[in-house]
Amino acid sequence: MLRAAAFARHLRSKEVVTTMNKIMSNKTATQEFATAGSQYKTAAAGVSGQPLVRISNLHKSYSPTVQVLKGLNLDMAAGERLVVIGPSGGGKSTLLRVMMGLEEVNSGSVNFAGQEYICADESKQKTKINLDVRKQIGMVFQHYTLFPHLTILQNLTLAPRKVRGESNASAEERGMALLTRFGLGAKANAYPNQLSGGQKQRVAIARALMLDPKLMLFDEVTSALDPELVAEVEQVIMQLAEQGMPMMIVTHDMWFAKNIASRVVFCAGGVVVEEGTPDEIFNAPKHERTREFLNRVFHI
Amino acid sequence: MTYDFSIVLGYWQALLQGLGLTLKLTLLCAAAGSALGFFVSLARVSSIKPLRWISTLYVEFFRGTPVLIQLFWFFFCLPIAIGTDISNFVAATLSLTLYTGAITSETFRASLKSIRKEEIDACIALGLSRISQVLYVILPQAILRAIPTLLSNFVSLFKESALVSAVGMADLMFVGQNISSNIARPVEVLTMVALIYFVVAFPLTRAVTVVERKMLAKLAI
Ligand SMILES: Nc1ncnc2c1ncn2[C@@H]1O[C@H](COP(=O)(O)OP(=O)(O)O)[C@@H](O)[C@H]1O
Ligand SMILES: [Mg+2]
Repeated sequence: MLRAAAFARHLRSKEVVTTMNKIMSNKTATQEFATAGSQYKTAAAGVSGQPLVRISNLHKSYSPTVQVLKGLNLDMAAGERLVVIGPSGGGKSTLLRVMMGLEEVNSGSVNFAGQEYICADESKQKTKINLDVRKQIGMVFQHYTLFPHLTILQNLTLAPRKVRGESNASAEERGMALLTRFGLGAKANAYPNQLSGGQKQRVAIARALMLDPKLMLFDEVTSALDPELVAEVEQVIMQLAEQGMPMMIVTHDMWFAKNIASRVVFCAGGVVVEEGTPDEIFNAPKHERTREFLNRVFHI
Repeated sequence: MTYDFSIVLGYWQALLQGLGLTLKLTLLCAAAGSALGFFVSLARVSSIKPLRWISTLYVEFFRGTPVLIQLFWFFFCLPIAIGTDISNFVAATLSLTLYTGAITSETFRASLKSIRKEEIDACIALGLSRISQVLYVILPQAILRAIPTLLSNFVSLFKESALVSAVGMADLMFVGQNISSNIARPVEVLTMVALIYFVVAFPLTRAVTVVERKMLAKLAI
């Protein structure tokens, strides 16, 4: 696993590094990042001083014995690129799934751009989800989730057509533009099984972008990939970052984490243990648990 | 005793007519039965309990009794129960359709179950409504995945349709039996009839393998 990560690092193209450098030079000025001619203006966070995402006291258990989130609190400012790291089983996927309305919660709430959209109704043991708010968030998963019976272009246009009632022509035009931008224009009429893992994940990202999300969630989107395919996917995420897309990224790729994050969150045992700038977390972690985790990850 | 297969050739028109009826019955019951099976499979995974019970009872009953009894029941008992005569064609079509419905509903149910949970998560993440998920993601894949097994179901139906000769329908089996007893040449005639069944069924079973491979490749992720 670690050997694979090292190999991937070795294989990263010059392009990625260039994109990366651009981002890094911007890192100190997050706000500038978000506004300087960026495609994804963080309009959702119109009210200044208010976090884009506020996660409050989230509790989630899959069964009485499997308690996964134990009062998790987390704020994310507009224009941030939050990277969540932590041991596996620590609840990172569960957190993103809750934010996406894919899991019920036992208590707590999630706000987006000042609106509470996920909230546990403890009396009814149900989770209330405001779908209109939730639809402003896009997610890409670790597993391949393209629809195998549809072409790449159809995968992109399905949701815009059925969810928003966009015309086929208009959705296809936007889809082609996105695919071309991601270097996948030639694959528009191919089926998912004809694509490499890296291409599939890039299409999955494009599919989510078709709905103009105001926030993107990435849950270990490169962990199912062969090492040599990791870079092309990370590069696409880099491009998005460059355009000011707010994002929350779960990854085991510390090199990627270090370079794309505006803030890093170390999550373990269902709570946020520590958070800070990449420099703080990777070079001067305060908590023993964080140190232990990083030692394990970096000690090849 | 010497065998003279050329003698059978003299009856080719009758045999062809029999085959025609067999094929007609098979196609009719395959079409009606799989349409029925499709809706029954939906009923079996429905959230409405009575619908689940009734559909399960139906499927288990028709899977758990001999087709010949089902056929006899529709031919001999149903007319008594409803007080009107029904032709052997109607009885045969009804019973084979209901039988095929039960069998294919299991095929559709398995293919519905094979849709990956991750794709449903993606549907929700994309904001697709439940109806859209079903119409554009679940059903198209379920139907595609069902095709190879459905084809095998149809091949079985084609062979089992020989049972309708027992209620006097002039299908391939019935015609063969009659010729063979009329001319007292069971070896030649029945062998030829078996061959005719085989010649129709074999390409279909081969097609199942090919379609299956194609489908697996297409829907692989
Ligand atoms: N659907 C589920 N049912 C039961 N337990 C689950 C389910 N999903 C995850 N878990 C458990 O919850 C814990 C946290 O999982 P997860 O959120 O996937 O962690 P991470 O993404 O940080 O590795 C794990 O112990 C896992 O086994
Ligand atoms: Mg995970």
